[in-house]
Amino acid sequence: MKQLRIVMVGDVDAGKSTILGRLLVDLGQVTPAKLAELESTSAKRGVAIEYSFLLDAFQLERDQAITLDLSRIWVRLPQRDLVFVDAPGHRELIRNLLSGASEVDAAIMVVAADEGITAQTRKQALFLHWFGFSEITVAINKLDLASDPKRAYETRRAEVEAFLAELGIQARAIVPVAARSGDGIVKAGPLTAWWNGPALLDALTGIPSRVPDPTAELRFVVQDVYRRDGKRFIAGRLDSGTMHVGQRIVFWPLQTSAEVTSIVNWPAQLDAARAGQSVAIELNSRIFVDRGAVASAVGHGPELGRALQATVVWLGATPASEGDSLRLRLGTREIPVTLQKIEHVVDHETLEPRPAETIGAGEVGVVAFVARESIAADAGFEASSLGRFVLMRDGAVVAGGRVDAVIGRAKGEGATNVIAMHSSVTAEERARRNGHRGGVFWLTGLPSAGKSTIAMAVQRMLFERGRHVYVLDGDTLRTGLNIDLGFSEEDRAENVRRTAAVAGVFADAGFAVITALISPNAQDREAARAAYPDGFFEIYISCDLSTAERRDVKGHYKRARAGEMVNFTGVSAPYDIPENPELVVDTVTHDIAESAAALLAFIEERILV
Amino acid sequence: MTRAQLPDDLEALESQSIYILREAFARVEKPAMLWSIGKDSTALLWMVRKAFLGEVPFPLVLLDTGMEFAEVYAFRDRLVREWGLTVVNEACPPESSVDQSLPPAARHAARKSAGLRALLERERYGAVILGIRRDEQAIRAKERIFSPRNSDGSWDPQRQPPELWDYYSTEVPDGAHVRVHPLLHWTERDIWRYTQAEEIPFVPLYLARNGQRYRTLGESNITFPIRSDADTIEKIVAELAATHEPERAGRAMDGESEDAFERLRAGGYM
Repeated sequence: MKQLRIVMVGDVDAGKSTILGRLLVDLGQVTPAKLAELESTSAKRGVAIEYSFLLDAFQLERDQAITLDLSRIWVRLPQRDLVFVDAPGHRELIRNLLSGASEVDAAIMVVAADEGITAQTRKQALFLHWFGFSEITVAINKLDLASDPKRAYETRRAEVEAFLAELGIQARAIVPVAARSGDGIVKAGPLTAWWNGPALLDALTGIPSRVPDPTAELRFVVQDVYRRDGKRFIAGRLDSGTMHVGQRIVFWPLQTSAEVTSIVNWPAQLDAARAGQSVAIELNSRIFVDRGAVASAVGHGPELGRALQATVVWLGATPASEGDSLRLRLGTREIPVTLQKIEHVVDHETLEPRPAETIGAGEVGVVAFVARESIAADAGFEASSLGRFVLMRDGAVVAGGRVDAVIGRAKGEGATNVIAMHSSVTAEERARRNGHRGGVFWLTGLPSAGKSTIAMAVQRMLFERGRHVYVLDGDTLRTGLNIDLGFSEEDRAENVRRTAAVAGVFADAGFAVITALISPNAQDREAARAAYPDGFFEIYISCDLSTAERRDVKGHYKRARAGEMVNFTGVSAPYDIPENPELVVDTVTHDIAESAAALLAFIEERILV
Repeated sequence: MTRAQLPDDLEALESQSIYILREAFARVEKPAMLWSIGKDSTALLWMVRKAFLGEVPFPLVLLDTGMEFAEVYAFRDRLVREWGLTVVNEACPPESSVDQSLPPAARHAARKSAGLRALLERERYGAVILGIRRDEQAIRAKERIFSPRNSDGSWDPQRQPPELWDYYSTEVPDGAHVRVHPLLHWTERDIWRYTQAEEIPFVPLYLARNGQRYRTLGESNITFPIRSDADTIEKIVAELAATHEPERAGRAMDGESEDAFERLRAGGYM
């Protein structure tokens, strides 16, 4: 049976590690040799037997009698294993507590009877609430220090109940214990003889383990694409729902769809994948899919937008401020975002929202951020794995977050219920009248490789033959449609995306479209394919760098070498040579006429009915 | 190939490990995997083949002290043949080159850290994938799944990055690397149940002969067998359900002094 994972929270020194150590000893899961070792290490530090040393393995932890980092303790019961995640209670170690809470099924909050609910405990409970724990188990510890254990317990119980009610968390049980002497841990002891409720261990039976939900929406998160023996496999995990061979699925955010033709858990072929399963799938069409995409069932997709409203826990040492540039990781996608607005920060003491300019380490805040690309997300932790994310800055995780709403829907693509209109004239009808089909002939290559020259020559030749043809030239488009774009990686991607979208429209209208853009990024080019998947051809205008630089048609190489132009492909920005272009035209070994003739023949063959 | 469907709990463990392996491969430049040829890293190697559809897409390294059991070397050669593997045998530097203030057996174990350090300096791997588990040892219980190392290979357990849900920290500064631990959430018993269900080969020294078996396989000079009659996997699983003896009791280096293992790990040990 699946193990039950439980996080232990509570202020430093509330006795979390001691409870766990005691649990192990009382269940007979510590060998006599280990107990003897424990006695000797305890004696060495001048203390009576210190059960927490079973967990606090670092020298520093033992010397200072504190827990520094998360530890996990396995307790074997006849029905199932319990895995306790012991989270340190120190203020500065909140990142460890959160890491622990994100991996568990249940939580135990330890409150010391002599201290009650401290500021630190309030904060931890707030995090548990934020993580979506609607029910926790509470242990009132250190009753051995109280003169009247029953009264001490009753007092703290009332305090705990009131506090949890404020947060909206249910107490599954509030159990009196004295961990040092073992009362109430595995069974009642002299100090808890008056207690009719369960011992701590009994209070944990019946808590269900969290399992991926097969009845929730299908969310298949793409991790990678592998090619084996000429076949393409999309590798990922079905985070929720079920998926079967023959099912049509939609990939987000591009909203391309295809049918699943095989599901592989190597070396086995499956008929269906279960929620939680890591598999690799094949599709019936070569739509563009890459890491970062997520698949859904048709009509049951995530929400799509350019902005998110979210609740975040800030972990970074530098506080978050409006205008900060961050990277969002959601599913397997990672994109740049800007923190647009801090709505408010939740006050630890009053649990009330208060306005704030910044969110500091360990604070919970409600924020909005915007992206330049569409984000596919689900609201809430329960909905799917697309409801939780982390934010990165300088390569480090600085916040964890929950999606509250997807807002700022992008023009023309936001709503999942927008369905492209079917045209009243079909592609076949157009092709019959024109005498040829449309298509996108995507030229890519280094500056001065000859893209524009060849494109213009071939356009003339096709026009003379009566074909409907148009050239989309990169430089020309940058004077109009793409005038707002520069040469950063993001802008280049957007340049390619827009050009591809326009090319797709022309091709749909029956034109042979020749594009002449450097389009240096292989992924961008692959994404462009989706704009006209039925007739997109990547054509590599091949020319080595030194030859291109010698030609230097526009004098740009010279300026780039002189440092006057930045992000110049071939000099200060990379160019991905196409791996599997449909055609290679080598302009080093062929002159313009030969190159144009090769492209002309290729296009004619593809478009003629 | 048809096998009975895995029990739910093992399927969940396997799926998470495969997810981790694919994340490491997709997000980190130049990963490599350490294969100690023991039960854990062999089960992990099997999952690597499952994750990458029969291939092992990164170098597979054995840190070789020359002191492994003969049966271990024989098993390595067999699996290399049967699974079509390419293994890099990395010879570890001699004991005289390691920190002499460590206790004797730990000194011996430190040869592996030294070998790993030399390998990393030469090959500049961005990630080292290895099959340690949290239930093996209290220090390992504090590990992250993706655990950054400093450029000298050392571990800073007080400054571990947050690890929320499945968002792992894969960014490392130049010259440093990240340790990837896909089996961290498995137990010894899980590994054996999985090995049985998936029919994964293993070194026969794990099975009892003449009332003794090896529960863990380290170097032949610092590893000792336990008393046991478990001569099948079923019996091993039953034995583990009943025992509370720690798994690594047969490893001389762990118990030499209170902080031996912590010092080994801080110095880059696995």
